[in-house]
Amino acid sequence: MALSREIYQALEAIVGKRNISDNIGVLETYRSIPAQGSAHYGPSEHWTPLPQAVILPATTDEVKNVTRICNKYGIEFKASTTFWSTMGYIGGDYAIQIDLRRMKSVEIDVKNMTAIVEPFAIGATVQAEAMKVGLNLNIPGVGCSASTLANFSSWIAFGPNSISMGQGSENILGMEWVLPSGEVMRTGSLGSGDGWFCGEGPGPSQRGLLRGIFGNAGSTGVCTKMAVRLHPWPGPTSLPTRGSAPAYKMDDLGDNFKCYTLCYPSWEAWARSIQYFYECDVVYSGHRQFNMFGRDLKAYMLKIITNPDGQLADLETLSQDPYLQKQNENMKFEYQIIIAGYTKRDMEYKEKAVEYVLEQTGGWKNEMMLEKDMHDYALLYLTRMGHKNLNFVMCGAYEGTFGLSGNVWKAIQVAEEAAARKKYWEQNHTHIAATGGESAMGSLSGIGGGGATGWEFFVNFDAYDKESIRGTYEFINGNQELHNKYGFGPDFCRWNSDVRHMNGYNYTQEEHDAMFVNAPQPWVYAYQYKIREALNPNNLCGTYLRTVDPSKLEK
Amino acid sequence: MESMKQKLVGIVGAKNVLDSQEILESFSKDQSFAVPMMPLLVVKPENAAQVQELVKWANETKTPLVPVSSGAPHFKGDTVPSVPESVIVDLSGMNKIISINRQQRMVVIEPGVTYEQLQPALAKEGMTLSTSLRPKANKSVVTSVLEVEPRLNCLHQFNYTEPIRCTEVTYGDGNQIFTGEAGNGAKDLEKQWEQEKWQVHSNGPQMVDMLRVVIQAQGSMGIVTWASFKCELLPTIKKMYIVPAKKSTDLEDFAYKVIWSRFGDKLYMMNRAYLANLLGESSDKIADLKEELPNWVAAVGISGDIMLPEMKVSGQEKDIAEIAKLAGLKFLSAIPGATGEEVLSKSINPSGEKYWKQTKKGAFQDIFFITTLDKTSKFIDAMYELAIEAGYPTEDIGIYIQPQHMGTSVHLEFNLPYDPDNTKEVKKVKGLYEKASREMSKLGGYYARPYDIWAGIQLNKDAQSYEILKKMKNIFDPNNIMNTGKLTLK
Repeated sequence: MALSREIYQALEAIVGKRNISDNIGVLETYRSIPAQGSAHYGPSEHWTPLPQAVILPATTDEVKNVTRICNKYGIEFKASTTFWSTMGYIGGDYAIQIDLRRMKSVEIDVKNMTAIVEPFAIGATVQAEAMKVGLNLNIPGVGCSASTLANFSSWIAFGPNSISMGQGSENILGMEWVLPSGEVMRTGSLGSGDGWFCGEGPGPSQRGLLRGIFGNAGSTGVCTKMAVRLHPWPGPTSLPTRGSAPAYKMDDLGDNFKCYTLCYPSWEAWARSIQYFYECDVVYSGHRQFNMFGRDLKAYMLKIITNPDGQLADLETLSQDPYLQKQNENMKFEYQIIIAGYTKRDMEYKEKAVEYVLEQTGGWKNEMMLEKDMHDYALLYLTRMGHKNLNFVMCGAYEGTFGLSGNVWKAIQVAEEAAARKKYWEQNHTHIAATGGESAMGSLSGIGGGGATGWEFFVNFDAYDKESIRGTYEFINGNQELHNKYGFGPDFCRWNSDVRHMNGYNYTQEEHDAMFVNAPQPWVYAYQYKIREALNPNNLCGTYLRTVDPSKLEK
Repeated sequence: MESMKQKLVGIVGAKNVLDSQEILESFSKDQSFAVPMMPLLVVKPENAAQVQELVKWANETKTPLVPVSSGAPHFKGDTVPSVPESVIVDLSGMNKIISINRQQRMVVIEPGVTYEQLQPALAKEGMTLSTSLRPKANKSVVTSVLEVEPRLNCLHQFNYTEPIRCTEVTYGDGNQIFTGEAGNGAKDLEKQWEQEKWQVHSNGPQMVDMLRVVIQAQGSMGIVTWASFKCELLPTIKKMYIVPAKKSTDLEDFAYKVIWSRFGDKLYMMNRAYLANLLGESSDKIADLKEELPNWVAAVGISGDIMLPEMKVSGQEKDIAEIAKLAGLKFLSAIPGATGEEVLSKSINPSGEKYWKQTKKGAFQDIFFITTLDKTSKFIDAMYELAIEAGYPTEDIGIYIQPQHMGTSVHLEFNLPYDPDNTKEVKKVKGLYEKASREMSKLGGYYARPYDIWAGIQLNKDAQSYEILKKMKNIFDPNNIMNTGKLTLK
């Protein structure tokens, strides 16, 4: 059913002629292949449904009025900003896409270390503004080109800095949120006009209805403005760089910043070192980054990506280099950290603390990563998270699997078994890149202060080759057995498989009931149903909010 | 009444249903200005299954339940029934320390566990739990954290709700789930531990944060029957320094810089009267201390534990001293009337039999809310003006500023001691409390924890939040049986 002229004109009256379109050429650009970068959806010939219109509001009032029109006429809607994944796209035929790119302001309260951001303020912009006044922010693994607000409100949002800055949820202060009904909810101190400084309460914290361990993935209306907590940045007012694209390096950030690749003789020593860092407030950023290229290839890939003329074709030659072979072996169990000193004494203490951890665990600093160019490249990479293109460089697409999130001591029990399984597939199937099996990458901690890791094995495949997608899908499906064996829950890349059909369409309530009625604690999903009924009575925002009709449990 | 009692006896056992006049009276009022209301009965469940049965029974009979975990006296009105024929659910007997895990630095406890009970048990494992300022000896740790009493270590408050992580909650509709990451696994702690899941991650379980439904709720949404907490390592070196100042504003730049630098493990500011009350063991001693102490102090704690503690502490001592110097302040281990060691000891150890805020005059009324550090002085000035207008001695007003959530906001507290036997003084303080509460709100003070009259004041400024709150109540407590009448919810 197409939008009637009456509805289209009502929407047009809100945003103006230039900011709405039902031109087929425009609408086609607002579709996503569910298989794109997301093998968990499986091989698919389908794109997400074609929206009836795309609308670009510029203010909260405009968003509110758009959602009211949607309510009046029962039109599904989904708001998105930087469109990183399929979750930002609609899942029904009678639906419109809201594109928030016109809302992009950033205001900073320096003293109270807070930024008030609109949806299209991307991580790089917020960071650049923050650094001008000695502050920084948690940029999640998705990278600095993604929306800060969308990360924090709508997904998990942890990254290298989360150990010292916390993850998205922990950094949220006041939020302005247009509910699907068209009501505007302002959380915490913002609701009474007292300021953006607190996002909780009054009394029970209403933001709890909008965001859990995951964000709401656009399933509960539109977050239009948010205050996020910033963190100290003891560096210059902008990031100094040198070199040529795409191999920029940090240029003389100062003696109070160091980036190390710390290596260990075993998984046990590796885990023990992480536990030390959870207990000492020494690490500014902590990530296992370059292992995304795989255990067998990371040293060679580092040589390629730090060389502006480097190409994948160089892999074969580089892999014959005995020095690099030695580095590869040397970095078998590794991760990267940045330490940042607020004073000279603070830096001296942190340097000593790193040495202490290495002594206690038999670890060492990788010598290749201490070379100036390598060091400065890794420092820039982890500080800015601006190299997301490298996720795709091997085969054009990647997916994360195994999802060893949580207890690091548990994760290491699985790591080698997962690596062996992946290596077997790499060698016996042509669907995924052969990188050495073990390719775990992720954050030292997914929550502030440490305590819960967030690791995934990168799997590289070709999203334009259906056989490659099919093979990857089969591999990932099989991995679930390993997850079940160790009690890990759903595999990382299957986290979204229960929210949208492979063909891009929403699930029905009956389908969701069947999926979740036998969950270990099904009332979790029944409460989500009740919350949807209260805040989104016409169910207009897709099926990313997993629900069970409570009547199915009461029986 | 008798059949009701028999039904409750069937749930919790005869010895755990109490109806003596003395006990009912003890729960009918507290030390605040809340209107007294006699409960019908007091029940003392012994486990989560009994709690769930109680809530189901209350739904069937539409009986209001008032959960109470800490021992008396109470001070905020939240444990006093707001409606007749309420049943008190006294959880103080559920006081088991269920699990301590040094590797994960996690502890799981029942709601009746107090700091006095918990800290020695954690110390044996080389850990401690952050506290609010000098908690009551019989204060429930679970309640203290659920109600977001401000912690002394704002730099480790990554999440607003720290240090609580996961809980078991029976919501007002009688359904019971685990919150946080624990809600995604089997509803059985033993089974979760077998899988090495230690209830570490507080958000969730899924796309809703079920813990946040019960925080700051005064028991109006459900009853928590266990909670997990993230512990700190027990320091091997701990020091407290004092930075004296003439005015609160003199400390602002210093405090902001210390927070920015992430130095120290404790930071708070208080005026002379508040510090004297904290340190003084008698009203005479408090009076003496008020003669000696500076107008304002910032207290800065520095600690080291397993990782090069001497180097860390000595480095931070020098660095923080330099920050103080740049702000024109002194960084001292002792000041006339107090040593840093005394301030630290009085701050982190539970109060004695008598709660420390009662020492000066026997009773007190607090007014507290959230704001930002740079705005505190306007509230302080206004409070003094209101006190003068009310004829309350300004020199008796204790003021405490506690940075929270890594310094993005502060808890600002005014403490008004009074003599409960002096009718005129009681009336004066009550009037000042009511007027100042309204005025602070008008100035932008945010009552995130809206006890007593603050609920009405806060929610009258924020109709949308009130509407959402009513929706929340309807989802989780549709028959309105949980602490009925609190938060002005109907």
